[in-house]
Amino acid sequence: MLVTAILSGLVLGGTYALLAMGLTLQYGIARIMNLAYGELIIVAAFLAYTLFATLGLSPVWTLFIAIPAGFALGWGIYGVLMQPLVRRARTPAGLEIDSILATFGLLFVIQGLLLVSFGANFTSYSYLNVAVDVFGTKLAANRLIALALAVVLGGAIYFALTRTLWGTALRAVSVSPVSASLVGIDVDRAARTAFALGGALAAAGGVVISMYQTFTATSGVVFTMKALIIVIMGGVGNILGALSAGLVLGLAETLVATYVDPGLTLATTYGLFIAILLWRPTGLFGRAAR
Amino acid sequence: MLEVQGLSLHYDRHVALDNVSLKVGKGETVVILGANGAGKSSLLKGIAGLVRPAAGSRIRFNGIPIETASPHHVLETGIALIPEGRGVFGDLTVSENLALGAYARRARDERETSFELVFGLFPRLAERRRQFVNTMSGGEQQMVAIGRALMSRPELLMLDEPSLGLAPVVVHELFRSLDLVRQSGLSLLIVEQNVRLSLEIADRGYLADAGRITGQGTASVLLDDPAVKRAFLGAAV
Ligand SMILES: Nc1ncnc2c1ncn2[C@@H]1O[C@H](COP(=O)(O)OP(=O)(O)OP(=O)(O)O)[C@@H](O)[C@H]1O
Ligand SMILES: [Mg+2]
Repeated sequence: MLVTAILSGLVLGGTYALLAMGLTLQYGIARIMNLAYGELIIVAAFLAYTLFATLGLSPVWTLFIAIPAGFALGWGIYGVLMQPLVRRARTPAGLEIDSILATFGLLFVIQGLLLVSFGANFTSYSYLNVAVDVFGTKLAANRLIALALAVVLGGAIYFALTRTLWGTALRAVSVSPVSASLVGIDVDRAARTAFALGGALAAAGGVVISMYQTFTATSGVVFTMKALIIVIMGGVGNILGALSAGLVLGLAETLVATYVDPGLTLATTYGLFIAILLWRPTGLFGRAAR
Repeated sequence: MLEVQGLSLHYDRHVALDNVSLKVGKGETVVILGANGAGKSSLLKGIAGLVRPAAGSRIRFNGIPIETASPHHVLETGIALIPEGRGVFGDLTVSENLALGAYARRARDERETSFELVFGLFPRLAERRRQFVNTMSGGEQQMVAIGRALMSRPELLMLDEPSLGLAPVVVHELFRSLDLVRQSGLSLLIVEQNVRLSLEIADRGYLADAGRITGQGTASVLLDDPAVKRAFLGAAV
């Protein structure tokens, strides 16, 4: 049972890590607190569901549509909705407040559209729901694939951000936008790219989630909250922090649900959140750019 | 090479610069001296594109108008600014900072030679490649700042109070390095509190007060100027 719990915890944690990496890119680099982040996740989940239900398309293939579409959507939302706010913002704090208000509105628009199109029912589809043997225990194949995807996608984005000049430039913007502009980085473009990348990660996360969880048109808020908590636990703008805090939270939630009481998962989330912030107020890894 | 004409700059209604004109020639080292709040930092920020000058201001670099250019465009024309407080990326390593210095398109192809040049000037940075910059001493951080600026292959290097917060020994070391940079043919525009050391490596200087240029002269003349002595060097000198 322990192995099963740990594996399920890694699946959930890997998904969380993916989601949190996207939000930390948007919040840490573009300095935009995107309250509609979870709605993007749910849109992608419904996309995967629809394509699976109508065309029988495997969600793994849907990723190839969802990731570019998420990027394009993020790029577009930044250009239309965020750029005017960025232009008029005088301080980073001002931009944060403006973006919270704007994306709060966006949240309800997207949620409304989802409710109209799909209703308020719990949605799920059965993709590769067959048990496979891992380390002597049984785990659904779809979860295994979800874990593999989270590792591959998370690893790729981590590598790109930490080992390439392009990624280092994005992290430099999160450390100091002014200094970044002085080394020749187009800060506005970097922010837009980071926001779009966040959209791509949200979309990827949504597809992965839909493979093994039920969701509704209104569950976006939960994911936004979870991702935000993980981002703060890991340290805002900190990629490695988002990765590790995501894994920790997924493991903790699953272990508590398995061994204590499933009703306590939310309590675990917030308990862990408070404990980590009391211990390290700037998050596990500080407000850094690793 | 750099020509500033009638540069004015406001923060809301506060006038920080009022009709300032100055020039820096090719290979020339120019110092700007002035009391706190004279507008020295604002001048460098205005040139670098960090603050947008008022309408009617003219800034040209090698004939290219840059008064409305963004910072990354100004850098691409060949002007690098080391701001007050150095502006290094503390959460990144020495090599990441230097690599970002060569982010500009004009510098990318010469990246490897630039690394050699910087490590030649500051061998200590070569030993500390993997160190996070916020764990370094002030003098070492200033080396990173200068090294990073040089990585962008500038023709004009602007420094805002580079000696601020450094111990006297370190300041001397810093000015020796700046002298080497100067001898390599770069133009320097330096804002400094350390009037004597900066005038010693400079060709010319400007005096700034309350947002205006109030005087100018060659470095040797300024060093002997009674007004400069009174204001900056201590009357007893
Ligand atoms: N962001 C800002 N907003 C409002 N006023 C500013 C701002 N930056 C500078 N000022 C004002 O503009 C004037 C010139 O400031 P500046 O920093 O250019 O002076 P300085 O000569 O560099 O001074 P110091 O020697 O203290 O660095 C000062 O009166 C300052 O208060
Ligand atoms: Mg200043």
